[in-house]
Amino acid sequence: MPTVAGKRRKVRFPLAHLKTAPLATQHQQQQQRHKPKRPGKPSTGESLSGKMASPARRIPALFTQPPPIRDPLVTETIDLQDATMNKCLPFLKGVADSQPGPFNACGVPALQRDDHIAYLYDSLEDYPAGFVAMDASRPWMVYWALAGLTLLGESVSRVNQRVMTSLRPMQNRTGGFGGGHGQTSHLASSYAAILSLAMVGTPDAFALVDRQAMWRWLGRLKQADGGFRVCEGGEEDVRGAYCATVIISLLDLPLALPPDSAAREAGFENLTDGLAEYLSRCQSFEGGISGSPGVEAHGAYAFCALACLAILGPPEQTIARHMNLPLLLSWLSARQYAPEGGFSGRTNKLVDGCYSHWVGGCWPLLQSALDGKPQADKPPTTVGSLFSREGLARYILSCCQHPVGGLRDKPGKHADSYHTCYVLTGLSATQHVHYRTDSSPCSHKNFAAAFSWQFTPTNPEEDVFEKYDRLTAFHPLFVVPHDAARKMRLWFEGEPFANDQGEFDPGFAP
Amino acid sequence: MDSGKYANDPEWASITPIPLDDGSESGAMPLATIAYPSDYLEATSYLRAVMAANEMSERALKLTKDVISMNPAHYTVWIYRAKILFALDKDLFEELEWLNGVSLKYLKNYQIWSVSQAPPPSPHGFKCTLPHPPPKELDFLMEMLAEDSKNYHVWTYRHWLVRHFALWDTPREVEDINSLIKLDVRNNSAWNHRYMLKFGPRQDAPDAGMANAGNAAFSTGETGVLPVIDEDLVDDAYHQGAGESESVVVCAGVFRAAGRDLREWEEFAGKFVVSPDEVKSSHAIEWLADVYSQDGEKGARAVEMLTLLGEKYDPIRKNYWDYRIQQIAV
Repeated sequence: MPTVAGKRRKVRFPLAHLKTAPLATQHQQQQQRHKPKRPGKPSTGESLSGKMASPARRIPALFTQPPPIRDPLVTETIDLQDATMNKCLPFLKGVADSQPGPFNACGVPALQRDDHIAYLYDSLEDYPAGFVAMDASRPWMVYWALAGLTLLGESVSRVNQRVMTSLRPMQNRTGGFGGGHGQTSHLASSYAAILSLAMVGTPDAFALVDRQAMWRWLGRLKQADGGFRVCEGGEEDVRGAYCATVIISLLDLPLALPPDSAAREAGFENLTDGLAEYLSRCQSFEGGISGSPGVEAHGAYAFCALACLAILGPPEQTIARHMNLPLLLSWLSARQYAPEGGFSGRTNKLVDGCYSHWVGGCWPLLQSALDGKPQADKPPTTVGSLFSREGLARYILSCCQHPVGGLRDKPGKHADSYHTCYVLTGLSATQHVHYRTDSSPCSHKNFAAAFSWQFTPTNPEEDVFEKYDRLTAFHPLFVVPHDAARKMRLWFEGEPFANDQGEFDPGFAP
Repeated sequence: MDSGKYANDPEWASITPIPLDDGSESGAMPLATIAYPSDYLEATSYLRAVMAANEMSERALKLTKDVISMNPAHYTVWIYRAKILFALDKDLFEELEWLNGVSLKYLKNYQIWSVSQAPPPSPHGFKCTLPHPPPKELDFLMEMLAEDSKNYHVWTYRHWLVRHFALWDTPREVEDINSLIKLDVRNNSAWNHRYMLKFGPRQDAPDAGMANAGNAAFSTGETGVLPVIDEDLVDDAYHQGAGESESVVVCAGVFRAAGRDLREWEEFAGKFVVSPDEVKSSHAIEWLADVYSQDGEKGARAVEMLTLLGEKYDPIRKNYWDYRIQQIAV
């Protein structure tokens, strides 16, 4: 997106300031060593380690050959699928001209860390007039860039003041954040704003949020069927449910509905009442989850619904109780395609890098639901990984890296902040094992399960990427670093919450 | 800064515009700023002012149209416009005609939809108060679907329309969906819509993607259990069956979700799996695995099918197939 008329604007920061300088520098040297003659190309048979190996041996045939069954009836769906596969194959084989390399012994190209960092810093600067359609998405632009940079190991503290400066005028006195100054508060922009402030992580960033107004606003968005509208006068969907739950749990808002909430007339007392039942009605006959009841199952909504359930309570209870798990597993598993290795969002749609997060992010949640109640503060006996981590890592590193920085949907597409953020989030998720423990740092039980997640890196011997390409681990529900989520929650736990009458909410006494 | 379109117009003289506050007065540079065109900057500063005063007027209505023409992804202006339409008791069918023109224009312009995850223009919100379905609405929807047959926003709206106006059994609805499926039998959005036409909850029952979902009286294992099956689908499946694996997917999905015994279809699915070396559909192997795993005595055959998937026909999902094999062992 920040590419203007084919020319990148130069917004770069010196390497010396990078937290990851040693790794990045080493990485750069490798690039310089290999770039001129491009000897890392599998076509030449040379790997980083200098060993000769044939491409066929390094890259399993699963990722270089069309699927074994070809359906003779050709329709538009098949045409598009074939075109996508043919576009991806040279990248998966490591023979596409625009792939910078170097390639490792598995035939997987390195993460172009510096280029992606530069791309994301650039994405935070000024856009020309043609980008006016982005006017309602600026909180997202901030979130996507901060999240992407954090994943890449950057400290975002240098933009702390600028984040607060940007978000402050977007907050409405009636609660919530809009897409910009004077815009109606929206759950999506509020989600992006709150998570951005969590990544800033300072008391003045937390104090910027008007919690009382946020709580009253959420009370107005709560619907009689248990779900949430995304804004007053807007649609009700699963995004609304997820964003609202993230906000309620991170800001430690009272569960009780504000006294004037219309949802009280439906018999609800709490913001979360009826929410899990609403989400269960969004499971479609295919087993996946749709944006609202009765619509087609979709990967992005599946993540929103499952993450929402996993915030509401332990996944082995909330997900297992409100979803038909065998159908859900079958549908989710069918989202991964070969030879591409990446995920599609819906049945008979194409792979897209952003589902590395939306679909990839469902796996730890389902795995936790299958693993059951955690016994102690250690990785549980687990069903293990139910998808191909190798396939996803190959798709991301081979197909989703734009040659001039940033990440994308698939080869042939432009990079943008959205894809850069969610492709990297997916890469991070596939590089770590996320599991729940039986302990939580929270001082009371509301959403305690959501703060009980831990992670370990995957086994390097099974990884197809190099160790310096491992990203920062993100919280599987809040999609910010684990520390950032915990810190924000604990800070708000320590802040008294005055209700409408100016009284201290007794439910929140320490 | 202002182009003066509003500043020089006597109709707007009574309004003091509220200029954009991007936070830069604090001294720090705001992030991801846009060098707005001056027309847009002026129009939105008047928009902030009339919205702050909650003005419900003709001039405000005109202003919303102006802002929409410059940025249809501005969700706030759509919501405000809908509010004014009601307050002024405007002709909603007239509004629709304009709206559908705008929607088509921007559907073609994919940039609007690709401002990813940003709220899409949700101009359809006000339609819920219409007394009957707008006369040309279904033609309009078919035009939209001709542009993009799997557009999620369009299908979401169409589903709403069916429920709101009770269109489940109307010939037009059924014909439209069947024609889209005929055009591309792999259009899963159309299949989902068809499933909802046939089996979706009706009248006052809360909407749900499968039968009994969200009903506390049923366990999650019982969701989807239906008293009827889709006989048309059964016929279609047989007719299209030769060499066509999509019907396997859809039939299996419908039957499994409907709680029907998949054994009824063992013979049908078996047509696609002649031998381990001659397989026409990996979905059919999965179906057979489901059939066999229901039968305690056929566990070994189920494992055989799942092994075939993991090793030969769908190895990217090997971990999942192995998990299924473990479940059978349990």
